[in-house]
Amino acid sequence: MRKLISHTLNRRRALGTLGALGAGLAAATVSGCTATTANLGGTKSGAAGRRITVGSKGFAESWIMGELYAQGLRARGYQVDLKTNVGSSDIINTALQSGQIDVYPEYTGVIVVNWAGTDTALGTAEETYDIAKKWESEHGVTTLQATPFENKNAIAVRQEFADEHGLEKVSDLKGIGDFIYSTYPDNVSGAIGYEGIVETYGLDNMELKTLSIGLNYQAIERGEIQAADVFTTDPQLLRSDLVVLEDDKKLFGFQNVVPLIRDDVFDDLDADAPEFLNTLHSLLTIDAIQALNEASAINRIDPAQVAKVFLQENGLM
Amino acid sequence: MSGIAPAGDPVIPDYGQASECVINNGAFCGDWFVDQWSTVFWPPLVDHIYMVVIAVVIGFIIAFVAAVVAYRKKWLAGPIGIVATFLYTLPPLALFQLLVPFTGLTLLTVEIALVCFTLVIIFQAVLSGLAAVPDDVKKSAIGMGLDQRQLMLKVELPLALPSIISGLRIATVLTVSIATIAAFVVDSGLGSPILKAVSSPFNTQFIAAGALAVLLAFVFDGLLVIVGKALTPWTRARVS
Repeated sequence: MRKLISHTLNRRRALGTLGALGAGLAAATVSGCTATTANLGGTKSGAAGRRITVGSKGFAESWIMGELYAQGLRARGYQVDLKTNVGSSDIINTALQSGQIDVYPEYTGVIVVNWAGTDTALGTAEETYDIAKKWESEHGVTTLQATPFENKNAIAVRQEFADEHGLEKVSDLKGIGDFIYSTYPDNVSGAIGYEGIVETYGLDNMELKTLSIGLNYQAIERGEIQAADVFTTDPQLLRSDLVVLEDDKKLFGFQNVVPLIRDDVFDDLDADAPEFLNTLHSLLTIDAIQALNEASAINRIDPAQVAKVFLQENGLM
Repeated sequence: MSGIAPAGDPVIPDYGQASECVINNGAFCGDWFVDQWSTVFWPPLVDHIYMVVIAVVIGFIIAFVAAVVAYRKKWLAGPIGIVATFLYTLPPLALFQLLVPFTGLTLLTVEIALVCFTLVIIFQAVLSGLAAVPDDVKKSAIGMGLDQRQLMLKVELPLALPSIISGLRIATVLTVSIATIAAFVVDSGLGSPILKAVSSPFNTQFIAAGALAVLLAFVFDGLLVIVGKALTPWTRARVS
């Protein structure tokens, strides 16, 4: 299972940041920082506990999350330094541990697979969260509540195709006759890639067509393919008449977003900060994050502006 | 308390509808560029200018002093040149990342790296400019009673100016381009919209930010040409 999930994560990382170019090197070098950079987070200077450095990872959804944290905390009187686009999971986690940033949004499945290294199959989002929380607490990091939404791989089909064949979950695809599924070229052989899906769900009738990331949506709308590999928070899912099939065999794992705060920073925070973050996270349903992603990734509104409007309309600032 | 927050009832804002060009990721959406100029492009452009100016000014001071010292003490020219050349050959992305453990994800990291890349160009330009001053000019200046300091300020440096300015031009244009890589370390400068438009593909942002970097390089270069001309009026007088 571990191997299974890590494949998705690799995709997210590969997608997320060009920084992957320097990732290996940076991960190795960043891990060298301890005392020298500890003061850069600024948590101990000025008014104790009212200064905080927020980080975000290298893709649009994380930029929005980072802006939501930063602007919400600023509205509560914190002096916030926002470092966007810090890089891949390994780089930003090292930045958190070494004090260059104090808080950032991370995916529970990423923590479990990349660092906690659990080999057991995870049955629920709660279980995934608990393992992530345990690992982080052992590494001096506090986890607050996770978002109801999660962002992970899924299989989507057109509504009329689903109606025609009575599809609700992935296993319903078995025995409906030959159909074409598309994914990106390096997601074919992995256990959650094409081959893994065929094996786990016994889908001998599923044919493969590889397409570059982002071309899936056009292809399925034109009817060139019948099923597409998507991310559950893709804003395109809002625009087209697609339905996401339930992953009834839990192949794709769980990926809720959780704020990670280093313990020394968390201990100095006033209660309003965790309260705000928990309230914010409870509002981030799949519909909400898709709308935010759409505003940013399709309408191309600046993530700062997207976050500001959301916080204002929800009375958070 | 459960780990996963219970789903609340969010107000989902109406973010409006973007133009067809933006939605379909057209080659260049002028409407979007104009709308987003003040948030997406202007602040990074200003940051970029600061980054470049700071790096070139500091790089110039260090390289200039080193070149004058090397000109006086000839045996130093070799070692200084080797160090400067070594710094210049490092891949920029690697140098940025190597500095992160020491100076963090900060502007300081970026400036140190950028300064390193300007050194060899300016150093060589100043040194070769000084070395090219004809011996008989120096001899006659000494014959007229100038001391070492006067010789440097009144004869050698003015005659080396065209070479120094051309070195500065190359260093500045190079720094404008290398500074885009700084976005891997700090979310600042024109590299930031470029990097983001690569991670979340959007042609307009990518093309516009790239074009601004090119334009900025031209502007800096043009300004230095003008400054160079103003500082060396005799070069024009000779031609006319």
